[in-house]
Amino acid sequence: MTTRGAPKGWGNLLFALPFLAVYLWLLVYPLLAGIRLSLYRANLFGGEHFIGFENYARLFRDRTFIQALGNSLLFVVLTVPLLIVLALGLALALNRGTRFAGFMRSVVFASSVLSVTVLTIIWRQILVPDGGLISHFSRLIGQTPVAFLNDPKLVLPSLAIITVWWSLGLPMILFLSALQQAPRSVYEAAALDRATPWSIFRRITLPAVMPAVILVAAYECALQFQVFGQPQLLTQGGPNGASRPLVLYIYETGFNHWDIGYAAAASQMLFALILVVSLVPQAGRWLIRGRA
Amino acid sequence: MSQARGREVWQWLRYAFCAVMLVLILLPLVWTVFLSLRSNIDLMRQAPLSLFGPYTLGNYGELLKNQTLFRWFFNSMIVSGFSVAGVLVLSSLAGYAFGRLHFPFRNWLYVFVLMGLAIPDQSVILTRHHIFSTLHWHNTYLALILPGLSAPLGVFLMTETFRAIPKGMEDAARLDRASPLMVFWKILLPQTLPAQASLGIYTFLLSWNDYWWPLISATRPDMFTLTEGMAAAQTNYAEVTGMGVLMAEAVLAGLPVLIIYIAFQKHIVSAITGMVKL
Amino acid sequence: MGAHNQGLEFRHVVKAYDDLCVFENLSLTIGTGEFFVILGPSGCGKTTLLRLIAGLEKVDGGEIWLNGRAIHNQAAGDRGVAMVFQDYALYPHMTVSENLAFGLRNMGVPTVEIAARIADTAKILAIEPFLDKRPSKLSGGQQQRVALGRALVKKPDLLLMDEPLSSLDPALRLRTRRELAQLSRSLSATVVMVTHDQVEAMTLASRIMVMHDHVVQQIGTPLEIFMRPANLFVAQFVGATPMNVLAGQLRNGSDGLAEMTLAGGAVVKTAVPTANLSEGLWRIGLRAEHVMLTAPDGGLSGVVDFVERLGEQSWVHVRLGDGSEVVAAQAGVSALQAGDAVGVTLNGAQAHLFDAAGAAYHAPEPA
Repeated sequence: MTTRGAPKGWGNLLFALPFLAVYLWLLVYPLLAGIRLSLYRANLFGGEHFIGFENYARLFRDRTFIQALGNSLLFVVLTVPLLIVLALGLALALNRGTRFAGFMRSVVFASSVLSVTVLTIIWRQILVPDGGLISHFSRLIGQTPVAFLNDPKLVLPSLAIITVWWSLGLPMILFLSALQQAPRSVYEAAALDRATPWSIFRRITLPAVMPAVILVAAYECALQFQVFGQPQLLTQGGPNGASRPLVLYIYETGFNHWDIGYAAAASQMLFALILVVSLVPQAGRWLIRGRA
Repeated sequence: MSQARGREVWQWLRYAFCAVMLVLILLPLVWTVFLSLRSNIDLMRQAPLSLFGPYTLGNYGELLKNQTLFRWFFNSMIVSGFSVAGVLVLSSLAGYAFGRLHFPFRNWLYVFVLMGLAIPDQSVILTRHHIFSTLHWHNTYLALILPGLSAPLGVFLMTETFRAIPKGMEDAARLDRASPLMVFWKILLPQTLPAQASLGIYTFLLSWNDYWWPLISATRPDMFTLTEGMAAAQTNYAEVTGMGVLMAEAVLAGLPVLIIYIAFQKHIVSAITGMVKL
Repeated sequence: MGAHNQGLEFRHVVKAYDDLCVFENLSLTIGTGEFFVILGPSGCGKTTLLRLIAGLEKVDGGEIWLNGRAIHNQAAGDRGVAMVFQDYALYPHMTVSENLAFGLRNMGVPTVEIAARIADTAKILAIEPFLDKRPSKLSGGQQQRVALGRALVKKPDLLLMDEPLSSLDPALRLRTRRELAQLSRSLSATVVMVTHDQVEAMTLASRIMVMHDHVVQQIGTPLEIFMRPANLFVAQFVGATPMNVLAGQLRNGSDGLAEMTLAGGAVVKTAVPTANLSEGLWRIGLRAEHVMLTAPDGGLSGVVDFVERLGEQSWVHVRLGDGSEVVAAQAGVSALQAGDAVGVTLNGAQAHLFDAAGAAYHAPEPA
């Protein structure tokens, strides 16, 4: 036991060893082995030979891959801004101590604790044209029900809406905690200066939540980029691949076609994109710190 | 005058926004419960459903007879329970080491661990699947539990928690004749209990709701978790059980997590806000 | 080595961090029942000394003896030493009585005796009402008592205190300081306390050790430290306001006492014998109460810079002709204003002299 001074005591490392072992075995090694695998032509039956970057070159010629990549990017664009705006609105509206605000916060977060399979069961019975909740409303106003999940133009936006419904809780909580960290005295000073609600929002509230917004944006980009369950369960990627995202593509390539090396290359593309997104909040934080 | 009027308008906008969001968020849940209380014959008809019934608990009765569902529920309890225990033990030990002890390369190792936060499960899936294949461990509880223990988030949370404990604590305990093991077990660990609770509940929800890894590892229906089983059920519900039963299943599957959420809301919130400090 | 003394003894202790030497060769004896205070600015090595005694750090050389036992190789818990930490370090998940019991249980004290000792200690410190509460439910002053109780309940041979009053607010600090003084007298325990507050040191200590930059400056009773500071640092560190120090030319007086000629030409006759003192550039030191202000009279004079009125006395800051500053103490509320011209009389009989290295020379003690 040393309390200060030069680092010594290999024995203390023992405490961290159990985790480090699992971490190396099931996260770091699979990542590195996956990168290696992406340079091979490999299938389940053990055939394996080195082909360099051929898998990557093939990805960029693969229409299905390009479509899946595009779908994933579009899905992020559809979900993340909407999530941030709605969650920020909710956080601003609910940042008070009333009982209703507390109840409402609980309700908003409640949907986030459901699993993706429960989510899709719930929403299928809302979106399907025969007997779905929305179809009842369409009939009421004399419209023919829309087949949201079978229309190539509507399928991704529909999945995006579902996902926003599912994911509002986490950003709202983060925004709320950012709002609560803004010192009260600043608002009181602004009130003494006769600031309008709009200028208080622009000059005080927004700067206070900005770091949280950047963080949430990056986190949600990374998360929504990994969307899988919603399309896999509701549309199987259809119609015509219009809702097949990158992860579903990896899953099908790896576990339906058993084209493992090729799927590994697609996995590395996913990893690279997520890595870039993960670095954004750090960069953003440095920017904000630099300005302060 | 105009400032007061402006404030009033804001106030109304706020209420309207809250009301709309409340309806949009609750309606799907209410609709699901509503459908689960209708008989399958009722649901098969094309005509719009009447709000006034007839209502029935028949679908829930049907579920109770379903042995497979109980098996899945049991599997989920085992997997989530051991995941929570595993994550808490590994994270506490590692958090103690990184947050409180000294050893060579400690800070480098910690950064190395934090880098793992950027590795998505999906991008390591092929080789991870291969590891368990060669061990012939697929379709075992162990295979369902282990990958969840490799996530660095818990280590991060516990390291920060251990770090936040005042510095003099070990010194005071040493003067009180506590052995190094006692310092950890009786002095420091009890002070991390609130964080343990947050991390434990968060891990439980994560593990209970995981769909991706069970889908790949557990291929035999008797090894499905509830979340995975619900997926299998919804793709062929029409032939097997009927929509009413499926909706009742969704309600029953959602209920445990909702109850846990309502009971431990405070801990879940603090787990989430704790992650931001990164 | 020497005889086995009672009390605490440092023999040639060496301590270093990396390449920084904290103590090169420290020897020191503290008698049983003493209230020994280590005084110095922060970062001067005081706390390290305390941690060496407690066994929280190991010495790199030398020995530490307590009541005839060599303790420097013993584990912290085995030395018969208890400590009150600056931030108290109470166990937040235990009640007050569990906090007190934890160490006793580890020492193997029988349960019945633990209960009795806790009851005794709680009574002395008046913490009985909150024995079943957690520390977080207590005020700062109450926590401080509990921290003291946790140390005293072990009946240590030696009680260490690291800035025990520093986290209290000023009013509470004053009250606690007085209680601590009474308590230490009634317990007749040996105490080593670390502080950067010279008032605490002066009022509590039987002896003070002044430290600066890891070097012991002086060891002595509060009165010795105040009246006969060993050097310039001690002179300026101890006292309600730092000692006035002016540069001047030292000359041997005809009566064998030193005379100082200040920058303005004024001559101050001191009571310091000149035997063995070389003439040249010296510094003269005078406490504020030995500087008198008069109407300007052609002697040493200056202009009032500003006045600090404390109620029972006032400190008048005067800028002298050569730009140096002196502070004069006046009883009651001074009528002087900034900008007033005043004459300055220095009471040379009370003056101290400092050589170029800062070492002090005093008038002989009255027999």
